[in-house]
Amino acid sequence: MSVRAPEAVAGTARRPAVRRRRRRPGSGLVSALATVVLVVLAGAVAEVGARAGWWTPDVLPAPSDILPATAQIVAAPEFWPDALRTGTELLLSCVFGVLAGLLLGVAFWKAPGVGRVFEPYLVSFYAVPLVLFYPIAIVLIGINQWSVIVLASIMTAIPMTLNTWTGLRAIPPVYLKLAASIRCSRSQTLFRVALPAAAPYVFAGLRLGVVYALIGTVAMEFTTAQAGLGYQIRYLYESFDAVGMYAYILVIVAVSVLLTAVLEIAERLLLRRRDA
Amino acid sequence: MSGPGSGVTLDDVRVAFAARDGDGPVVAVDGVTQEIPARGFVSVVGPSGCGKSTLLSVIAGLRGATSGRVEIDGRTVSGPDRDVGVMFQEDSTLPWKNVTDNVRFPLQIARLPRTEQAARAQDAIDLVGLGGFERRYPAELSGGMRQRVALARTLAMRPSVLLMDEPFAALDQQTRLLLGAEVRRIWGETHQTVLFVTHDISEAILLSQQVWVMSYRPGTIIDVVDVDLPDDRDASVVSTPRFNELQNRIWEKLRAESMRGFAQENQVPA
Amino acid sequence: MSLTVARPPGGSRVLLGSVAVAVAAVVVWEVASHLSFVIPRPLATAGALVRDLGDPRFLAGLRETLLAALAAFALATLVGGLIGLGLGLSRWARVVFAPIITVLNGVPKIVLYPVLLPVFHLGYGSKIVMGLLFGLFPVLINVATGVREIPDVYWRLARSVRANRWQTLTHILLPAIRGPLLTGVRLAVSLSLVGVVLSEFFATKQGLGRVVLQSYSGGDYADMMSTILLLIAISFVLSLLLWRLERRVR
Repeated sequence: MSVRAPEAVAGTARRPAVRRRRRRPGSGLVSALATVVLVVLAGAVAEVGARAGWWTPDVLPAPSDILPATAQIVAAPEFWPDALRTGTELLLSCVFGVLAGLLLGVAFWKAPGVGRVFEPYLVSFYAVPLVLFYPIAIVLIGINQWSVIVLASIMTAIPMTLNTWTGLRAIPPVYLKLAASIRCSRSQTLFRVALPAAAPYVFAGLRLGVVYALIGTVAMEFTTAQAGLGYQIRYLYESFDAVGMYAYILVIVAVSVLLTAVLEIAERLLLRRRDA
Repeated sequence: MSGPGSGVTLDDVRVAFAARDGDGPVVAVDGVTQEIPARGFVSVVGPSGCGKSTLLSVIAGLRGATSGRVEIDGRTVSGPDRDVGVMFQEDSTLPWKNVTDNVRFPLQIARLPRTEQAARAQDAIDLVGLGGFERRYPAELSGGMRQRVALARTLAMRPSVLLMDEPFAALDQQTRLLLGAEVRRIWGETHQTVLFVTHDISEAILLSQQVWVMSYRPGTIIDVVDVDLPDDRDASVVSTPRFNELQNRIWEKLRAESMRGFAQENQVPA
Repeated sequence: MSLTVARPPGGSRVLLGSVAVAVAAVVVWEVASHLSFVIPRPLATAGALVRDLGDPRFLAGLRETLLAALAAFALATLVGGLIGLGLGLSRWARVVFAPIITVLNGVPKIVLYPVLLPVFHLGYGSKIVMGLLFGLFPVLINVATGVREIPDVYWRLARSVRANRWQTLTHILLPAIRGPLLTGVRLAVSLSLVGVVLSEFFATKQGLGRVVLQSYSGGDYADMMSTILLLIAISFVLSLLLWRLERRVR
């Protein structure tokens, strides 16, 4: 499936999706069209249902109410503290997580014994379970952005580590023999041969990491926080402001779509012409 | 199930596909009219990408011809037939089944009684020389042995026609020679009709009674070479003058086709 | 399926190493608990756990959380598996639905909990649906990918021996996707549990998530810690067992 698959094959790492070259040129267009149709359809059903009273407005307000509200909210200055908070948490966790993941991935590649010692923990804490530590983090660090960042960084680092490690292990040995035969130094081998060879896996790990950073960040804010988009959703729910709440949900979905799209484009740009 | 091999008739078989790049249809096979006599052993050689595998899949009933007809024993081929056994180039052993279960697989699908399944499977396993390996799994076997499993599986149905699509292409030369000799020996015992596709000219001459030389796309048969070597030949026949004559004759025809194929496949983008 | 995977040399050394890591973590914990007011001692935490396990209200919460997680997991596997099969087998379905699924996968699903509450209310219903949403995607995506990665030659083999649909399903398709399916299931187990617990963090009548928040607001950090560790341990052990099974299968 040419679906970029976050929670996919995670055991050791996510293998970059097999892009069968059988994809006919028009199918991207059909995909986009179909998606638009589905979204519009869903919106239409929501609109009709809300207006016709199939359900009460506190369950799901009409999209025609949610959308303008969203525009208003985003345009208002009060939006930005929360957006900035979530954005900062996301950015920092991604940066820390990706760097840590790369470092650890390379380290485990060079010292596989050490890697195997830690592997059960990496695999078991893969994806979201770390979020459950949030109450402990709050107790230790306080209800602020740092407790979120610490945990979200670890959540990002795990798939990044596993994928980098697997990607490096998957390098055809002949590449390393080549590097040795032309007398590359260790850092040259790493940066000019090994990492580029492992790039598809590393990038897949990056995509997973970013997704988990967002999911973790929002989930933690949602649980308890001082600020942030996730926090707002909870606040608005408890204030019985259904329209406002859905507006923020929409914002989060939009952020997620944006991230996914950016990563997809980045992957195509960086990794084109590499298909074996 | 039938006894000895059936004759295969190809009547103006043509296979065309719609092209991927919107350039117009690709003709893989263009007007092949040939006959394989019952119990015969025929090889098809040609450059890579010439359509020989496509031709074989049409005879196997796995693909339909765009025009023309294939008949086996007078019956038109319209789909896969239990009487036609196919051996693929890629490793088709199922990794989750052991050797016996792999060989039994088509018999299970055909719902033969269990005792019959067990008996036929064991016969086939013994015939290809895998006795003793019944409980092993493909991951424990070498490439050559896995192809033997695939061969045993094909033979277990006792087909009257055996179609082999470059079955040894992925193996090293020594294994190829050994397995080729095995196939010829088995053919001598079962008397099936065999069509053997290969890119290896000497393999084709060594194993068969007749070699069809196929051109690059669109594939047609540009030469039919009767291999008049002794029936009880062994590997040493490769150094005889007659063998070399046949080999040179075929290579002459193929060389131009190969180069044409190479140029076609590796066009420098404009 | 009796493939024995050769144990890597020094396998038991690795095991020892992993255990050592856990021990080291506990040591660090002990040290930290002496340095800080708020961190409870490991022993105190263990004591709190033992005490809790004797408390019927705690046990009721435990049962609710685990039952909800189990139900969510079962549904996620079933629904995800079926949809994954459909997507894997049908190119058309992939073209139409793949973008939406990719996007939905990246959305933090917990934010949809307030949407579920008015519909399914505060009891089991909302939690189970949330857990289902969490656990659905790994199974779906892994199964779809697994089906796509079945070597072409297996389909040709099935056709050449004239296997019907059911035979192809049981002899070829299902055995071929055991690995990816197991990966998806392993992820779904822990994700379903997390989905349920996060829901309980937000709002619920009963459940361990609620216990955690109550302990937190009551300052019973030992209780809070022990409950969290219990949940983590459950997730950890199940994931580990499934991971070992998965490695044997692949």
